[in-house]
Amino acid sequence: MATDAPILIVERAEKSYGERDVLRGVDLRLFAGEIYALLGRNGAGKTTLLRSICGRSPLDRGSVRLAGGDPFVEPRVRRRLGLVPQQIALYPSLTVRENFQVLGRLAGLGRGQIPSAIDRALDWSGLGDRVDDRIDRLSGGMQRRANLAAGVLHSPDVLLLDEPTVGVDPQARERLHAMLASLRSEGTATLITTHDMQEAEELADRTGILAEGRLCAEGSLEELVRAHFGRAKELTVHVSRRLDEAEAGLLRAAGLESGADGETWTGNAEHGIEDLAALAGTLAEAGLPTEEMRIREPGLREVFFRATGREYAP
Amino acid sequence: MSLAVFRAMFLGLWRDRAALAMTFVLPAVVFLIFAAIFSGATGEQIRLNLAVADEVGDETSRRLVDALAAQASLKTVGGEGLSGDTVRDLVRHGTADVGLIVREGGRNLRDVAGFGPAPLVLVTDPVRAVAEQVLAGQIQRVYFEALPDVALGGVVDLLEDQFLELEPLQREDVEAGLAELRDEVAEAVDAGRPTGWGFDDLHETQPVTGQTSGLNHVAYYAGAVAVLFALFSAVNGAITLLEERDGGLLDRILAGPGKAAVLIDGKFLFLGIQGFFQIGVIFVVAWAVYGVDLWGARTVPWAVTTLLTSLAAAGLAMAVAGACRTRRQALTFANAAILILSALGGSMVPRFLMPAWLQDVGWATPNTWALEAYTSLFWRGEPVQALLLPWAALAATACLGWLLARRLGRTIDRV
Repeated sequence: MATDAPILIVERAEKSYGERDVLRGVDLRLFAGEIYALLGRNGAGKTTLLRSICGRSPLDRGSVRLAGGDPFVEPRVRRRLGLVPQQIALYPSLTVRENFQVLGRLAGLGRGQIPSAIDRALDWSGLGDRVDDRIDRLSGGMQRRANLAAGVLHSPDVLLLDEPTVGVDPQARERLHAMLASLRSEGTATLITTHDMQEAEELADRTGILAEGRLCAEGSLEELVRAHFGRAKELTVHVSRRLDEAEAGLLRAAGLESGADGETWTGNAEHGIEDLAALAGTLAEAGLPTEEMRIREPGLREVFFRATGREYAP
Repeated sequence: MSLAVFRAMFLGLWRDRAALAMTFVLPAVVFLIFAAIFSGATGEQIRLNLAVADEVGDETSRRLVDALAAQASLKTVGGEGLSGDTVRDLVRHGTADVGLIVREGGRNLRDVAGFGPAPLVLVTDPVRAVAEQVLAGQIQRVYFEALPDVALGGVVDLLEDQFLELEPLQREDVEAGLAELRDEVAEAVDAGRPTGWGFDDLHETQPVTGQTSGLNHVAYYAGAVAVLFALFSAVNGAITLLEERDGGLLDRILAGPGKAAVLIDGKFLFLGIQGFFQIGVIFVVAWAVYGVDLWGARTVPWAVTTLLTSLAAAGLAMAVAGACRTRRQALTFANAAILILSALGGSMVPRFLMPAWLQDVGWATPNTWALEAYTSLFWRGEPVQALLLPWAALAATACLGWLLARRLGRTIDRV
């Protein structure tokens, strides 16, 4: 369960690469026993923020405090951090046990601490019967579990996960989520970057949305939905062709905005089904080529689009 | 922590049988090929292919041809009864290194200083000029060794012509003595005994090194191949740093308390020890197959030279891996650099065959210093003091490479 004292504090983090401002004043707090999902489009600054928290990418301005210390200069602070990269960041020709032994030492564990750490990791990940198998001979799901377990061998206070479930089947994903949930119950603060909105909804206690180097939205799912939609539902209209200016004006007047394809329009339905019925009548009267109209409870996906825009940025 | 990296490197190599073979078997095979070539082509075991046309076909010419054919340094090719044109064709096409024609219409073989066409024609290819010199020397030797009666008869003829005329009785005695000598020589030749007319007592041979020339070349190429492969293997091991970066392992490790220096130290140590054993395999093969004198007083200086050589290779390889951004970039640059270093440093062509200025340039390469140490030890048999300078150069290369890699590692830390 989350406590009041943040274990990780990022304050006014700013970072530029040449002319490009990647982080423009990010504030983030992570508490023990919570899972925080960090969302953002590609290039939004997620990776740079993670590298800064790991003490690898020095900030131009602002600070990172991890367990009260500075991860840039204090190895003991980094000892309290675990990172699970998106790739299977393990030695493929080594067995599960050998990987845990090597990576446990590199994470700062003493030689005597390794056996019990491996036992814990095996128990937690359910890989006990495959401990002497080479990593490259495990299934994709097992490799993911081993990848995750290698990040918590040293029982870090803060765990950073970069897309931990990408490319795995639903069963493996479920298993990984259960592993993360058990970490939360043990008090580990977990920061996950993901593009999977459903995963973030299922796992995260809080979610932050990073856009153009700023944290543009943050909170629990309910807080985010309330902030962006109030009590309204999301109203979506699909038309079969791009509309001319007069037709588009009708939809804009109803508070809808066009998506990137020009055929999908979304907006708020403050009164739910009544708004839908009223708009349906208006569109039919004007002869618009309506294919589909729907209203639904907004979720993280809708919040994300509302916060970051729908247009495609290559 | 660096020992953990060492262990991961070791297990990775141990489990990859192909890489294991490339690291320890291939260098030994390449060495054996070089050694087979150079141990037999250094002058002590030289054997020329000789094509012979005996257009005269008398007893004296047959004795000369048979005596030449019996020489260990010559091997007759093309069979017997060849014509002069056939001999020229055989030399032109390289089947024979050199040809000999006992010319019809030439002077008699006994007529050592007369007028008219020479009795023998040497058919040569300028590309193999040394073959002509070898054959000319062998003809002169065989002429006195196997045909002393002919040679002395020629001298008598010359004396008679230039200085004094023999009485008929004296001439009969001389001819009888020469006939007796011919029979004695023929008997000795048939029995495989020295005839005593080869003038071998005029000189003795004093080698300045304890080993034969061929063995010196074997020891040289053991070192040459060893340095070349130590560099290649070190680079292949060092670029795992870039593979680990691409695979996320570097991110994982650098998020912990250790920094890139931990990785660099572990890999440097592993590659140094891997190189030691790799070079060790080559020299053990050189000892087992060719009898290179590896054990005893030379063992410790060899071990120090080998360790410093492999650490120098490891240091340079780690610096390359630290400086390059991609695996492909590192491999391309390293392969080019290793080939140039090895060509200049004597790993491909012996340094003593290079022009002086190129030998001077070679001092800038680790190959040269390693080979200087190995040749001091195995070729020239010099005391350990002679190895101190090469050792210092190799140690400096190892330290510079390692420190440069650590310096470059800081940029890996701060990506």
